[in-house]
Amino acid sequence: MIRYMKLYYLFCKQNLKVMMEYRMDFLLGVLSVMLQQFAGIFFVKIVFDHIHELNGWTFYEILFIYGIAATGRSIHHIFFDNLWTLGWQYIRPGKFDRLLIRPINPLFHFIADRLQQDGFGQLFIGIIVISTAMPHLDISWGVLEFAILVVMIIASGFIFVAINLFFATLSFWMVDSLPIVWTIFNLSDFARYPLTIYHKGIRYLLTWIIPYGFTAFYPAAYFIEGSGFEKLALLTPIIAVISCIAAYWFWNRGLRAFTSTGS
Amino acid sequence: MIIVNDLEKHYRIAKRDPGLRGAIKSLFHRKYETKKAVKGINMHINAGEMVGYIGANGAGKSTTIKMLTGILTPTSGEVKVNGIVPYENRKQNASHIGAIFGQRTQLFWDIPVRESYELLKHIYEIPQKQYEETLAEFVDVLHLGPLLGIPVRQLSLGQKMRCELAAAFLHRPKVVYLDEPTIGLDVAVKVRIRAFIKQMNARYGTTVLLTTHDMQDIEEICQRIIIIDDGNVIYDGSIQDIKSQFGEKRVIHFELEDSITECVLPEELKKVAKILPRTDEDHHNVSISFSNKDISGAEVIHSMMNQYSVADLTIADAKIETIVEEIYGRGMKGRVHHEEIH
Repeated sequence: MIRYMKLYYLFCKQNLKVMMEYRMDFLLGVLSVMLQQFAGIFFVKIVFDHIHELNGWTFYEILFIYGIAATGRSIHHIFFDNLWTLGWQYIRPGKFDRLLIRPINPLFHFIADRLQQDGFGQLFIGIIVISTAMPHLDISWGVLEFAILVVMIIASGFIFVAINLFFATLSFWMVDSLPIVWTIFNLSDFARYPLTIYHKGIRYLLTWIIPYGFTAFYPAAYFIEGSGFEKLALLTPIIAVISCIAAYWFWNRGLRAFTSTGS
Repeated sequence: MIIVNDLEKHYRIAKRDPGLRGAIKSLFHRKYETKKAVKGINMHINAGEMVGYIGANGAGKSTTIKMLTGILTPTSGEVKVNGIVPYENRKQNASHIGAIFGQRTQLFWDIPVRESYELLKHIYEIPQKQYEETLAEFVDVLHLGPLLGIPVRQLSLGQKMRCELAAAFLHRPKVVYLDEPTIGLDVAVKVRIRAFIKQMNARYGTTVLLTTHDMQDIEEICQRIIIIDDGNVIYDGSIQDIKSQFGEKRVIHFELEDSITECVLPEELKKVAKILPRTDEDHHNVSISFSNKDISGAEVIHSMMNQYSVADLTIADAKIETIVEEIYGRGMKGRVHHEEIH
């Protein structure tokens, strides 16, 4: 474990060096992601200029949900972005073989191969949005609340990771599963709004099948009084752990299939 | 060091009818056929041996190497490298092996070569002192000095291959698999690479399995060759043996002025020489194989020039290449025959 942490640090250092080499790329990437996020928030703002509440949810509550989603997603975006590239950059050109002849865990190697600078834009926006919304919520922020918020955000990030890992793994059977990963990932946009505004079916899907609900809405609801989801919200870290275990199990199955068929 | 018994690998590939219709049909109903890439290979390679593993494209070389490195799981049979079953203990196996796969880089694309080596040092847990010694030695033999600060993507093919080679040997592996290490390189680089491989073997007793289409590589590096064709081993033995077995065979390639569909040997050559299967499309070329025991090269040329108008000719040396060509030729003929029966 310590060995892997040290290795990750070394990989990171190299990736950062490359990033600094392409400075313009870094700035443009961060800016474009920030703009993209702003557009989303701006849209919510316009809606709320015309209405006061959305199905009982205030503007700042929705902003808070939005902020948790953005921050959680940034963990995935910065550190696990390589998951998008499994099919077309590793398996199709045969680069994946390289990872299999190294004496370290291939998933670790694959993830550590890349650090995505654009994600930092997401992180900045997320933090700004959360801190804007926080004072407007009916809750007094103590150390405990802060600690829980951090745990929730990390759990949210890992749910994003687990879901992407799960569907990226399909690449082992079908060479490139990117379209599927994209489609599923787009479902996470639903989770940026209160799940109560959706039909029961969608709510069930986003809670128990593809648990994007736990990346934003449920953890946010923990801090919103009278939302009625405080208990469910506490499941967030557990859901994150279960998702990661399931995704990793699936990854190992995919790897086995890959080594028995080749590409 | 490497033990392979009755190794087989079958692939299941989807068969589909040609055209768009076939593509759509295959979406709903797919037929599979089994392709046997490796059909029961046996080989035993001792520690410190340098073995040439050769065969035509698609003969099953890469599949075998993938099974030896643990990338592929065999369909059946036994593989052991250094006492480890590679596909079961991939990581453990990986720390004792080095590999180069043709043109695919093992290095990190965007970062300077030196930093790549630093990362490899940590990945393979090479002690600092050993790392420094090894690197200094490699820099010296492969002339890497000026390359260390350059990102891999900016290197030329020859420079990259030298860096790759250093990376493959950096952790002093017990076995190294080299899949076409000299492909596309100029003679000077090839010479340097061959010298390096020999030096590594002499100093560290590294076992080397080399696949290449460059017979010069084989002749200079290997004591033993294994020839594989259509998933089977068709020759396994020393280079000396194969040379004395086939060594008197000579081949002369004639380029004729006129195109001839069916070349007939001159009467006096019929008993002592034969025409090799033709590979050219326009029927200008004829290759004649004969044995030095029966007839001299000069006589063959003389007879041919009497019968045909010859534009040019080349005399192939009694090299391993010629021998292998002939063995491939035979394998090929065998296969054609086989297909006709079906």
